[in-house]
Amino acid sequence: MFAKIGLAITFSPTGKALLKEAVRLQKLFDSQLVLIHVGEKNSETEKLLDETIENAGIYKNQLETIWEQGDPANTIINCSKDAKIDLLVAGALEKESLVKYYRDSISRKIMRELQTSSLILKNPSEQPVSFKKFCVSADYSPQCEKTISAAFHFALKENAEEFVIIKNFYVPGITLTIQEGGSPKEIDSMIEQLKNEEEEKMKLFVNELNLQGLDIKIVCIYGKEGWEDSNYARTNASDIFAVTSPEKKMRFLDRLFPHEIEYSFETLPTNLLIIK
Amino acid sequence: MQLAAEQITTFLLSISIMLFLAKLLGELFSKFNQPAIIGEILAGILLGPTVFGMISPESFQWLFPQHGEVKIALDSFTTVAVILLLLISGLEVDLSVVLSQGKKAISTSFMGLVVPFILGFGVSYFFPQLMGIGGDSSKFVFALFMGTALSISALPVIAKTLMDLNIFKTRIGFIIIAAAMLNDLFGWLIFSIILGLMGTNKHGFSFEQTLVFTITFVLFVLSIGKKIINKIIPWIQTKISFPGGILNFILILGFLGAAFTEFIGIHAIFGAFIVGIAIGDSVHLKENTRQIIHQFVSNIFAPLFFVSIGLRVNFIANFDIVIVLTILILAFAGKVIGCGFGAYWSGLNKNESLVVGFGMNSRGAMEIILGILALQAGLIHEEVFVGLVIMALFTSISSAPLMSYFLKEKDKTKFKNLVKEKFVIFSNESEKEKVISQLVEAASVELKINKENILNEVMKRENILPTGIANYLAVPHAKIKIKEPFIGIAINKNGINFEASDGLPSKIIVLLLTPENNNELQLQLLAEIVLKFKEKDKVEKLLMYEERSEFCEELKKVSL
Repeated sequence: MFAKIGLAITFSPTGKALLKEAVRLQKLFDSQLVLIHVGEKNSETEKLLDETIENAGIYKNQLETIWEQGDPANTIINCSKDAKIDLLVAGALEKESLVKYYRDSISRKIMRELQTSSLILKNPSEQPVSFKKFCVSADYSPQCEKTISAAFHFALKENAEEFVIIKNFYVPGITLTIQEGGSPKEIDSMIEQLKNEEEEKMKLFVNELNLQGLDIKIVCIYGKEGWEDSNYARTNASDIFAVTSPEKKMRFLDRLFPHEIEYSFETLPTNLLIIK
Repeated sequence: MQLAAEQITTFLLSISIMLFLAKLLGELFSKFNQPAIIGEILAGILLGPTVFGMISPESFQWLFPQHGEVKIALDSFTTVAVILLLLISGLEVDLSVVLSQGKKAISTSFMGLVVPFILGFGVSYFFPQLMGIGGDSSKFVFALFMGTALSISALPVIAKTLMDLNIFKTRIGFIIIAAAMLNDLFGWLIFSIILGLMGTNKHGFSFEQTLVFTITFVLFVLSIGKKIINKIIPWIQTKISFPGGILNFILILGFLGAAFTEFIGIHAIFGAFIVGIAIGDSVHLKENTRQIIHQFVSNIFAPLFFVSIGLRVNFIANFDIVIVLTILILAFAGKVIGCGFGAYWSGLNKNESLVVGFGMNSRGAMEIILGILALQAGLIHEEVFVGLVIMALFTSISSAPLMSYFLKEKDKTKFKNLVKEKFVIFSNESEKEKVISQLVEAASVELKINKENILNEVMKRENILPTGIANYLAVPHAKIKIKEPFIGIAINKNGINFEASDGLPSKIIVLLLTPENNNELQLQLLAEIVLKFKEKDKVEKLLMYEERSEFCEELKKVSL
């Protein structure tokens, strides 16, 4: 499924934990592991990396290491593309400061611009455990079929206990109808009707994917698209929140007026699996 | 200065009468599926100089004095009303929707601003006599205003129309609402700049200073301001009583924003509108909070404001047919051509573009607010104001039927429009593949596609997971290279095993073919079909028909 897993590695306590998480995933998927380190390569840094690798319980010859210098985010993005990585593992803070958020931090830039799938870990652990609760943000696009399938097979490998598919829908401006004689009752009934339709459509959509081996729960939520599903993953204490990578590049305006996936980039609800 | 007891009595009496008649006529118009605002304005016309003032001038002067303290009190009340109206309109302007709709919304909105603006400005500047004004120095600002007045749209009317036509959550619905949101933001911004140009500022700021303050205010409120608001709202909702706490917070911020923009020389409503956008953007603002504040403003303050319009102007004395017709023609031409072309260029077909054009043509309350502010600021005279009100009402009333006409023409995404008598067959086959083959044969002729290709795709899907649903229904389906969906129905009274969940044999087999790469259309039609057949007794009734025409007629009648 993910034949080549990449890891953006640093020499920090988080870096060690991330390496252990990546090694667990490498074993889970039986894949090749590639470490990407942005920084100067000298005897000291090489020694540090060797120690980190040794501490993670793997042999140096079991993985490939890429050393590159330059802007960290761009270097990681380009290396992942060149090395044909299938899944990049990286760590990120749950939330950046306001200034950093608007300026685009390294981890957020990777999430927004990476041209391959990625797994962004919020709290990587030096004693990693398998992910048990999966949550997928879904729409009806062909790309989302891929996201649901990838997350489902990941969940199967992890022997997950819960697999939830969320369809978040929203009707902007609906409350304005009150100004024109509409009533809250009318609005509520329209939302309820749409919810039933969405549930029916999502059931059919999932049926078409013919996924076997795990119970699938479908949840339809009304509210701002991208926020409500991300909030569900947070409050439901999901281990993984899977989303489809944005079709177009997310820019400053998308950060100024967040929508859809940008809500999850702004504040990580949990570990984020972004499928390209 | 203080109101005397008698003046307070007059003030309260006039408000009671205004509210009563506005509600009465507003409800009456709503009953006939017309905008309530027409009834509310009519209430004002009946109570104002046009009717009541004409019949009994003394009683009119006593109840609605045109000078003095009571008039000031009433004006203050309506100023608060209009600020609140713009505050709640701002609450529903979601700029992220514009971003998610991308090019289609931006192109529609841009053209919907530019074309009416050029038409409005051009005609008013070069042919001012059509608007009843002479060639004086204020011609330029007047023309700027007319351009803006024709560019603005009315979000509430548009939202209600989309709801009534049941197209709110469709591709066209999203484009219209997103384009209208962007349109309004820029419309109000331009109008504020015009007010700045007029030099209405009483605090000594130059036009350039006002412009800088305005832009800084907008950028601050829509970036840092809205982040702070988003942090405060959850705290208020948990710590302070609901809904009082949050309503109080929204009103405080709205009035503060309004006070600031009034101070810098642009109208108070702009501040309220921008603050409304920032508050409405919060993911923590609950849907019922929005509904409560909308009800509060729409049922109390909005009617008072619209009645007050009729109290100010004599609609008969100021009715000028040339001005009314000029404004009406410019309004229709500007929006329908502008938005229609904008939508067409962004990839919509001709019919869809016309739906967008007529949808965006509603002006409603926003136009009237803009008009009354311009009248108060001395930008326009009463004849033009009357023309704008008539245009606002006429565009709002005509929008839904015109949209509906063009929607009906070619909506090939609805099950009922796809069911055709010639593609309904009565079959006696006993095998799944054979009955599907019969349906595919009809499809092959209609779609001019090789029968084997279609059959392969349908059977491939059927073999992965059988398509028997329940209640005697099966929906074999596939996505193939076609532009529009196809539906064929086979009625097999003996039934065939499609492995339905209820174990019943399938007696109605609906073949559904949809275009490739359009999952949503396939799912929408599948869901529609499943919901149509959810009641077993209705399906059994359908199976009793022996004639294709009767079957189709009954099938179309079955509600979802």
